Amino acid sequence: MLRFWEKRIKTGILTENPEFDKELEQIKKQIKDKIKKHFAGSLAIRMVDSGSCNACEAECNALSNPYYDLERLGIHFVASPRHADVMLLSGVMTMNMYHHAIDCYNQMPSPKWVIAVGDCVKDLGVFEKTYAIKGNDLKIDYFIPGCPPSPKDIIKGILEFLKNFE
Amino acid sequence: MRLIARFALDNTEHFEIIDVFDKEIRRQKVDKQNPIVKSIMPKYPSAIWMERKIRDEFGIEFEGAFDKRPLVKHERFPKNIFPLRKDFDKKDVEFDEYKPYKYEEIEGDNVFVVPVGPIHAGIIEPGHFQFSQAGEEILHLEVRHYYKYRGIEKMVEGKKPLEIKKIVERISGNESIAYQIAFMDILAQASETEIPNSLKQKYYTLLELERIIHHLTDLGFIPNDAGFAPALAFMSKLSEDARRVMAKITGHRFGFGAIKEELSVDYETLVDFVNYLKKEVEFFEDWTDDIASLWDRFNTTGALSREKAIKYGVVGVGARASGIKIDVRDNVFYKNFGYKMQFGVKGEVGDRFKVRIKEVLNSIEMIKNFKTDKKEKYILNSFKDGEYMSFVESSIGELFMYMKIKNGAVERFYARDPSHINWQAFHTTIYKDIIADFPLINKSFDLSYAGNDL
Repeated sequence: MLRFWEKRIKTGILTENPEFDKELEQIKKQIKDKIKKHFAGSLAIRMVDSGSCNACEAECNALSNPYYDLERLGIHFVASPRHADVMLLSGVMTMNMYHHAIDCYNQMPSPKWVIAVGDCVKDLGVFEKTYAIKGNDLKIDYFIPGCPPSPKDIIKGILEFLKNFE
Repeated sequence: MRLIARFALDNTEHFEIIDVFDKEIRRQKVDKQNPIVKSIMPKYPSAIWMERKIRDEFGIEFEGAFDKRPLVKHERFPKNIFPLRKDFDKKDVEFDEYKPYKYEEIEGDNVFVVPVGPIHAGIIEPGHFQFSQAGEEILHLEVRHYYKYRGIEKMVEGKKPLEIKKIVERISGNESIAYQIAFMDILAQASETEIPNSLKQKYYTLLELERIIHHLTDLGFIPNDAGFAPALAFMSKLSEDARRVMAKITGHRFGFGAIKEELSVDYETLVDFVNYLKKEVEFFEDWTDDIASLWDRFNTTGALSREKAIKYGVVGVGARASGIKIDVRDNVFYKNFGYKMQFGVKGEVGDRFKVRIKEVLNSIEMIKNFKTDKKEKYILNSFKDGEYMSFVESSIGELFMYMKIKNGAVERFYARDPSHINWQAFHTTIYKDIIADFPLINKSFDLSYAGNDL
């Protein structure tokens, strides 16, 4: 255990992307009032997979690793839709997930927004329409393209959403 | 005999059921007017989902089957359509009226049900778990999937083999390289060519890198679910490092589109990285070995006995941790590059954790041995009609892929993800554990939902 603490001190902080931090500082100033009013100072996200290949989920999980450490930006993933401001939606929206995803959206308190993550949500990506795919009907407020978008792309996307937020 | 897959095809005049075992392949014709065949469920429990899927998709009935509930057709999915029949070509179907699904439940005094999912508390794929509990103890778990059912088997039908590559590599994102290699293997068979040795080494290098990424992620999540968060911080850093190396080598963080007729691998970067990784993983092994509270949670939890694992035909880490020495890589080619079977004895969470650590170290060794700068020319010829099968050891376990080519187009495509087998044995490991142990057990198997649902 001692060896671990020694290693930990030597390693220090790994978090990257100072450019985001600067950008965030600016955005924070720009939209301080808006964030306060709508998100109580921090953004709560409920991730919903409606039929992805699981790469988008892996990248969203990666947002919590020491390099990205999303929570330092005041953005965090929540366990319940009732705690969420934003739904992060991935996947092609299958027949079998359709009602569950809509249900999840309905459980979110208003005002609420949907951010699409990955090409599948928009036009099925490389996939094609089949009997098992319903396609997304939820209104998308912001779209983060990519197959899958990298963690950096996702962070940039969320910040961009906040910046243009009305 | 071990059951690998049971699936059906529509041969216009009649249906055909193909049973793939480890030692033989059985085929039987099924009359279209009266589509009934004998169930093998009672002898091979892993056939339960396979038969229920065939029943949903082809309308074939199974005589003697004890579970006749729909599998891929959920509550509002139209029940009267059989989408994998050749005469079904609709792209849109309407929702049917809601028909409740009858879950397996245990009845009794003070037995209660805890339904979990399909949308979970964390960032996980959708699936449903129905627990029957008596107090803290779990008496029974029913795993229900196919929320992500995309109809990929039908989606690829009628296309030219190369056209479906992009879809196949995205069946399951974290096993993409394995799917690509299985697909490439099938293409090579169909064009009657042999993939040169040096190219194979490069393919397998990426496959081992994919396994490393997957194992590292789990090695962080398993202790985290036992309340030991520093392990997640440590391991998620390493798996991110590994994913960046993958991006550097293939141009994509998941290696989408990497397995091609030509491939150059930047071994210098890779070998430097795995040398560094080896030290870190050894440190991690030492460190976690010392933490008694962790092993208190790991030992005796989620045990899959050897007998059960054999009965269910379990594959991958789940099987090896229960002492079953099964691995597609267990062959002369791999052994020449340093492959060593890693296995446990008791099939507990702790065994699966240890097997993963040992497999990462073994993969590191193999990557160093795969190192080659040889460039051999490889060109795929045109594809001959016929049936082809391929096996690849993905990070989860044995992946089986089948493709039938007719008139130069894909007539039938079938993939059996290792998860499809393992999910069905998974519920047996949970008996008498507490619900707080569930995430731990789930992560120690780390099965795919997307690959299973297809």
